[in-house]
Amino acid sequence: MISRVADSCFWLFRYIERAESCARFASVNRMLVLDAEHERAERWMPVIVVLGEQARFEELVGKERYHDDDDAEEYLTWNQQSPVSIRSSLYWARENARMIREVISREMWETLNTSWQWFTSKAAQREYRKDRSQFYRRIRSLCAEFGGTSDSSMLHEEPLDFMLLGLMLERANQTARLMDVKHHRVAGGDRQTLETPWQSAQWVSQLKLCAAEESFLKRHRAAPTGRRVAEFLLRDPSFPRSVLHCFERAELLLRQIEAATARAAPTASLKALQAMLMHLRNAKIADVLHAGLHEELTRVIDTAALVCDHLQRDFLDPSEPEAPPLAQSQSQS
Amino acid sequence: MTSPGVPKLPLFADYRPLPGTYDEFFAAPGQPRPNMSQLVRALDRLGQREFQKRQELANSAFLNAGVTFSVYSDERGGERVFPFDLIPRVISAEEWDLVERGLAQRVQALNLFLQDVYGKQAILAEDILPARLVLGSSGYLERLRGVTPPGGVFIHVAGIDLIRNPSGEFLVLEDNVRTPSGVSYVLENRGVMKRALPSVFRKLNVRSIDDYPTVLRDTLLESAPSGAPKGSIPPPPDSPVRAVVLTPGPFNSAYFEHSFLAGRMGCELAYASDLFVRDRKVYLKTTAGPQQIHVIYRRIDDAFLDPEFFRPDSLLGVAGLVSAYAAGNVTLANALGNGVADDKAVYPYVPEMIRFYLSEEPILGQVQTYNLSRKHDLEYTLEHLNELVVKAVDGSGGYGMLMGPTASAAEIAEFAAKLRDNPRGYIAQPRIELSASPTWCDTELAPRRVDLRPFVLTGKKVWVLPGGLCRVALKPNSYVVNSSQGGGSKDTWVLAADSS
Repeated sequence: MISRVADSCFWLFRYIERAESCARFASVNRMLVLDAEHERAERWMPVIVVLGEQARFEELVGKERYHDDDDAEEYLTWNQQSPVSIRSSLYWARENARMIREVISREMWETLNTSWQWFTSKAAQREYRKDRSQFYRRIRSLCAEFGGTSDSSMLHEEPLDFMLLGLMLERANQTARLMDVKHHRVAGGDRQTLETPWQSAQWVSQLKLCAAEESFLKRHRAAPTGRRVAEFLLRDPSFPRSVLHCFERAELLLRQIEAATARAAPTASLKALQAMLMHLRNAKIADVLHAGLHEELTRVIDTAALVCDHLQRDFLDPSEPEAPPLAQSQSQS
Repeated sequence: MTSPGVPKLPLFADYRPLPGTYDEFFAAPGQPRPNMSQLVRALDRLGQREFQKRQELANSAFLNAGVTFSVYSDERGGERVFPFDLIPRVISAEEWDLVERGLAQRVQALNLFLQDVYGKQAILAEDILPARLVLGSSGYLERLRGVTPPGGVFIHVAGIDLIRNPSGEFLVLEDNVRTPSGVSYVLENRGVMKRALPSVFRKLNVRSIDDYPTVLRDTLLESAPSGAPKGSIPPPPDSPVRAVVLTPGPFNSAYFEHSFLAGRMGCELAYASDLFVRDRKVYLKTTAGPQQIHVIYRRIDDAFLDPEFFRPDSLLGVAGLVSAYAAGNVTLANALGNGVADDKAVYPYVPEMIRFYLSEEPILGQVQTYNLSRKHDLEYTLEHLNELVVKAVDGSGGYGMLMGPTASAAEIAEFAAKLRDNPRGYIAQPRIELSASPTWCDTELAPRRVDLRPFVLTGKKVWVLPGGLCRVALKPNSYVVNSSQGGGSKDTWVLAADSS
């Protein structure tokens, strides 16, 4: 397939995943901050920080506004200058889809386009004001509808593989970032260890941010502790948002893509991903925690970025080759 | 919700045809044309209020499907829905038979003309057309003389604009043989029409238009260079002919159509930056490395196709594409240099081309045209600018034209200066009273002027799509139907001949 098209496929699902998770943690966090345990200034700061938006938020909204639910939610939902807002993600998802409309199924386009028409309508504004939980739930189900439509209407081959590859890398990245909320929540505490006293209610919120509460309780049937939560979110083999699970699926997709594009040798992208998988599978959780969870999460985020860099060169934006291999082999025969 | 103001009257209860104009539905007020009476009855029974409801359904269907065109002037840089009118344009089997034969004849002659102009130039040697007019056309590419595309086909896709004069006769208004657009709306309109008015649709025996993408695809494959492997799009792994649609990108006003056609043909949509040329062969940059391309259905104008050939200062286009075309390694559809055939100053000579190349009389008439290179015609035009329509010879989209009867004195003076300065650059025609059709205007039916652009495909044979893009001037009293100038569209129903 055309490299530029593969690039749009890759980004299309990343943006959908971003919109979905932004809607989730906006709706989860607005419930969490109602609890008395949170310091006033801390209400939205950790979420904004893990999204990498601290500087922009302080510039556009204000350093003193982290406690203001409306300001923070407005920023995460509607702000056009914020690259992480739901609006920005949906906008760019639709723009990428528009560029590859002949590649995605008609149903996918219509699902996304109708969602965008709704999101920019007065009806959406009204719902946002009147029933915000319902508003965020609707965003999440529109994203889910898009994913389901894609799975049931696209050929399960290269274009869809690139889409899901984008999704998996983005999801691993999101989980790692959200796990890091604690690091930023426990301001001034001992950040090197998980033994900072956190009540189990706070671990439950952590799980909720990652949409992991139900799955965790099914797995453990016990109160969450820092160690259990870290292990679950990092490398539960079957939790769909665990870092390990996402990277494993990404690896499978990448191997399918390499087969479809007849690669003679594994690409740098695949090697980087496999090295990270090896580490995730073999590391002892005690060692990881000892070395620092924040450091481990940073490593996950850096690996996802590294794989994306390699993908650019390997598949998505190859600079014009010096001499096309096809022309060479033809002139030799 | 419907507008409360719309009454439950029969649809055509208040409709009055435009005086002095051929009405597509009515021979006289309240008196449908014989082949229209069945349709008028069915629509009347629906009533105004219900019709309004269906029209709103149709509008939201287009919005949700994202059937749009981009407008440069729109400050939101946005996409707009092409306004759609739910009253169809209907053409009887007998009328269509004439149109179809006339179009095939005309496109054949234009194609032979291009072969000749880029070859022996017999028509110029015999002085049927003035050589200066042809060779001086901005669409003529002297450097490509001697290059004949595979199968001798220059015009794979033509869109010929037809109008109907007050006596009901079809006339050719314009030939579009470079990159005519609009066929995607034809296909989309039909889909929405079937959803919005299924019962009405069922009553008439309307010919299907769904074949278009398949026939276009076959046309493109048939036109592959002779050295290319035989096959289909998309190619099986051991790669025969590979075709792409080439688009200027999402900001182009017809981007929706480019994407639509690529999707319906099952081939890839490429930007110029996805292609490169090596050893006079064209390659596509894919995730599996470079792959050779044999046929390009290009929707980019000649001048932006290849910076090496056309404009060294441009970054647009695919460097070396013309050399690959000239070497016979890639088919461009349509071919290069077609602008000389739809130059509006060449248009008056098309009937002569038909006689010269085919030894036939033209089946379709056309509009009287003043050739401003002739001193006499120029003088007449300058004296009668307030009665005439003036068009730039290489213009399209309704831009750069003067509608004399409605123009201001300043506009007329401005055009008079332009004509004196560059007479070869313009033509003049009397304003034709285009036929009108009942059209839904917010809360009531009113007559609005229409034209018709049928599409003609040429591969190994000539094929005419039974239908076409019917454009309608939505502003009252307007004669300009272009989408960029406030025009809308209608579904065109070509009726099948009675099987009885």
